[in-house]
Amino acid sequence: MNPNIVETLNVAREVAWLPWAVQYFFLIGLSYGAFVLALPGIVFRRPGWDSVSRLALLGALVCGLSAPVALLADLHQPGRFWHFYAYFTPTSWMSWGAFFIPVYLGGLLSFAWLAFRPDLARHAASGGKLARLAGVLAYGGHESRGALKAAALLGLVGAVLVAVYTGAEVAVVRARPLWNTSLLPLQFIVTAFAGAAGLALVFNYFSARNTAVTHTLARVLAASQFLALGIGALWLALGLSGLSATHAQALAEVGPSANWQLSAAWAVAATVLTGVLAWKRPGAGLLIGLLALHSAWMMRWSIFIGGQEVPKTGAGYYSYSLPLGPEGLLGIVGTAGLWVFLFVLITTLLPLERLAAGSPSLAAGSPTKAGA
Amino acid sequence: MKSCSDSSVSTSRRAFLRTAPALTAAAAMAPTPAIASTGKQQWAMLIDVRKCIGCQACTVSCIQENAVPEGSFRTVVSTYSVKLTDSAQPAGTYVLPRLCNHCDNPPCIPVCPVSATYKREDGIVVVDGDRCVGCAYCVQACPYDARFINHETNKADKCTFCAHRVDVGLLPACVETCVGGARMFGDVNDVEGEFARLLKASQPQLKVLKPELDTAPRVFYIGLDERFSGKVEGGGTLWKPRNLQSSAHG
Repeated sequence: MNPNIVETLNVAREVAWLPWAVQYFFLIGLSYGAFVLALPGIVFRRPGWDSVSRLALLGALVCGLSAPVALLADLHQPGRFWHFYAYFTPTSWMSWGAFFIPVYLGGLLSFAWLAFRPDLARHAASGGKLARLAGVLAYGGHESRGALKAAALLGLVGAVLVAVYTGAEVAVVRARPLWNTSLLPLQFIVTAFAGAAGLALVFNYFSARNTAVTHTLARVLAASQFLALGIGALWLALGLSGLSATHAQALAEVGPSANWQLSAAWAVAATVLTGVLAWKRPGAGLLIGLLALHSAWMMRWSIFIGGQEVPKTGAGYYSYSLPLGPEGLLGIVGTAGLWVFLFVLITTLLPLERLAAGSPSLAAGSPTKAGA
Repeated sequence: MKSCSDSSVSTSRRAFLRTAPALTAAAAMAPTPAIASTGKQQWAMLIDVRKCIGCQACTVSCIQENAVPEGSFRTVVSTYSVKLTDSAQPAGTYVLPRLCNHCDNPPCIPVCPVSATYKREDGIVVVDGDRCVGCAYCVQACPYDARFINHETNKADKCTFCAHRVDVGLLPACVETCVGGARMFGDVNDVEGEFARLLKASQPQLKVLKPELDTAPRVFYIGLDERFSGKVEGGGTLWKPRNLQSSAHG
């Protein structure tokens, strides 16, 4: 900061992408990350991945269904969402995103339905809560491998498109050097996978506590954390060395801020702790799962809300305090409430324990309740 | 009517006032946009920072003219206290009027997902309020912090160069009320006009904000200190608009 200049009068521009946007990027990231984790066990029938993939698919479904609601809420004119489809603008990543989201959700829903049809039929036969609805949704409960693979491919294409657009949409904003870095999309993707693994770990803890599942997910999590650290180190090196002007500018903008220094130290500490625990103490399933979820959310909060606290022309920083209404805390709580509602609804039809126990069509030989 | 559409808007207030009666009469007779419809004009603003006294008359007149909600601003005069090293006085004041730069290469236009933001034939960048979804992508993309979400309309908002006034041959409200005559407005294509001649004469001194971004602003400055042409390095202001003090979101 130049001590010879003090801004005495200027406009403090408020945050225009609200906490709803943070929730959207968090949930859609968890969803596409979890969707990819769902493929090895369900599509490729990779040994040891059956329960992992089924739990991950549950996470992809719950997060994928709640994310678009948060996105709509972030629009200041949500009733005009149809304008995205009426006035397609190919130069805008957001415009493309409006088409990519339905592709992904279409693939995800088809895939989840095809994957869980036998489970729905099983639930209908067992006569549990909402058994009739489960029977209707099961629609015979048959397995269709061909259709399942086709839906998986559609979902995967959608997931890749969503991952690309969510990263590019932010990274192309030259006006915000912190966002305008080529590494940001990669950072979103890596933390999304870490969060997805974390979510599956939490699901596993509250259901079968399958040790093999915990260890498999811990390996994924450890890899993602070390990758995140590597990318973070590269980001810092590019900024410090001046090899990348954008990274250097981004670092220069946030480096002097005590808040940003604290955030950076926190993020590094959380990532190292999660990575080391996942690597050395993979049994700490719940703790590393929650830590990973926390890091994925905090990264997005820092980028979006923190990034908007940096004035584009004015001196210093804008200060943001979380409003309590729909544009702030209530928005976050509301999204969480929707997530919980969807989780309860889906796990009523597809009980978590059954998902964690593995596919009914495969012989489940993995140990359960072994303490995760 | 003909004479109005063919004449450029004058540069200075004095020159403008000389033609005001004719312009007003013509405007009264011609409710349809007379100037922009020709597609020949390319409007621009020239701000002589040396003449600005930081009175914020432009800020207030803009709010009045465009019904800008409390706490939001389409234009403002950023004011800085600067330590002086070559003067007996310890510090001086630097003022810098800011507004939408109506760039020739505007970053706000390509990002708009519904093409609600567009550039008129006369170079003025505007928002189609009937189409805007309030996604605020343009707010993020503007490198000049010139855009905001209007909490009364829930749409993107910004300076329009007072297009509704320009269309009927009037000057933007901020230009008309500028006490020091620091803000000048006119047609860069009217090479014989006072504004274009003034721009040409001032060429060596002309500067724009953030030239490195290649946005080609249509707001030019005379007397722009390099330290203030980008993001200002200095102590941040403590002042916040009243309705932003309790909530960061209007």
